[in-house]
Amino acid sequence: MKRSCRIWNARLHQRMMLKAIALFLLLAVSAAGAVDLPPLGHTMNPVSPPLAAPDFKLPDMDGERHALSDFRGKVVMLNFWATWCPPCRREMPSMQRLYEKFNERGLVVVAVNQFEDPDLVFEFTGRLSLEPTFPILFDRESRVSEQFKVKGLPTTYLLDKQGKIRYRAIGGREFDHPEVEALIEGLL
Amino acid sequence: MHIGSAKICAGLLLVAGCVQAAAAVEDGVTMSTDPDTGTKSWKFAGDGLDIELIQVPPDFIRASYSARGLPSSVSEAVATRCVFGTIVRNVSDRPLSYRVADWRYTNAEGVERPIKTKSEWLKEWHAMGVRFSWSILADDPTFAVGDWIQGFTTLAEPHGSRVNLKVVWSIEDKRYEKIMSNLECAPAPENDA
Repeated sequence: MKRSCRIWNARLHQRMMLKAIALFLLLAVSAAGAVDLPPLGHTMNPVSPPLAAPDFKLPDMDGERHALSDFRGKVVMLNFWATWCPPCRREMPSMQRLYEKFNERGLVVVAVNQFEDPDLVFEFTGRLSLEPTFPILFDRESRVSEQFKVKGLPTTYLLDKQGKIRYRAIGGREFDHPEVEALIEGLL
Repeated sequence: MHIGSAKICAGLLLVAGCVQAAAAVEDGVTMSTDPDTGTKSWKFAGDGLDIELIQVPPDFIRASYSARGLPSSVSEAVATRCVFGTIVRNVSDRPLSYRVADWRYTNAEGVERPIKTKSEWLKEWHAMGVRFSWSILADDPTFAVGDWIQGFTTLAEPHGSRVNLKVVWSIEDKRYEKIMSNLECAPAPENDA
């Protein structure tokens, strides 16, 4: 068998395995956490005084590296997440709606995935009701989340145009809520 | 002990939720059993804190850690413990903090023990070259209004055993504590029994 065919077959097998694992995880989490999930709130709390966000450089789904400082001059919603985290999954469509509403006016959403394989995340995002079009970066060893002192997933920061952390939310949120939109309007 | 029930049941889709919400309440702690899976959970809300503990079966831990490529030494160390999925939420109007190092549990023999913290787990995992930093409940966060978090609480007790858990938290400088009694660790899988 040609090398390219072997690679293609191995890749296909890997993708099928990852898809099965992802599906299993979704079912398992649902089964284990079969109690009512807390409702998602919409508060983002001010960080006072605003702190300079540490810069980082991470690869996206295609391996292209992005630095946080590339987005200087824009308002950045920086979200730390993983596919196995139920509130991360629940809040992601609201981030996409927010991104669609404000992107042209200067809002960037950057989702920093923790520990996971890009192929697994690719499969996951393809199954979402609203597929993210904002950049998803890969922090495979959680070094960037350590820099930001992230205690749990999801954690989301709202950065102003100067790269300072102005607001923070720990736990899932509905981000396309008028109160969050008002915060973004205030930073744009 | 008395039997409580869900106050709001709107529509047929919520029937299952209403059945699930039928629950035993003791000393402010609501115990619920999922009718489909048999999974038990305990919830307390008071003094600005909302906390829920949910049984996590060892097979679930093994499967989810394995799916992330973690070595069996990591998954077995957690799966052989009594594990509760824990959701903690600040429902006060001021910052709330807790330290898992302050929490204690009492086992069936009446022995009081501390809980292994996330920092202690990560120290072991990092020494093994494992950079996975998630799944265990954050051990010393400060929550702003509306913040919440979830993660595993791990007790060094056998599957199926019963414990009383003392949860401690602070709002500004005031310290609160609550003992959640008679929590049941998830039973061992049948093939482990």
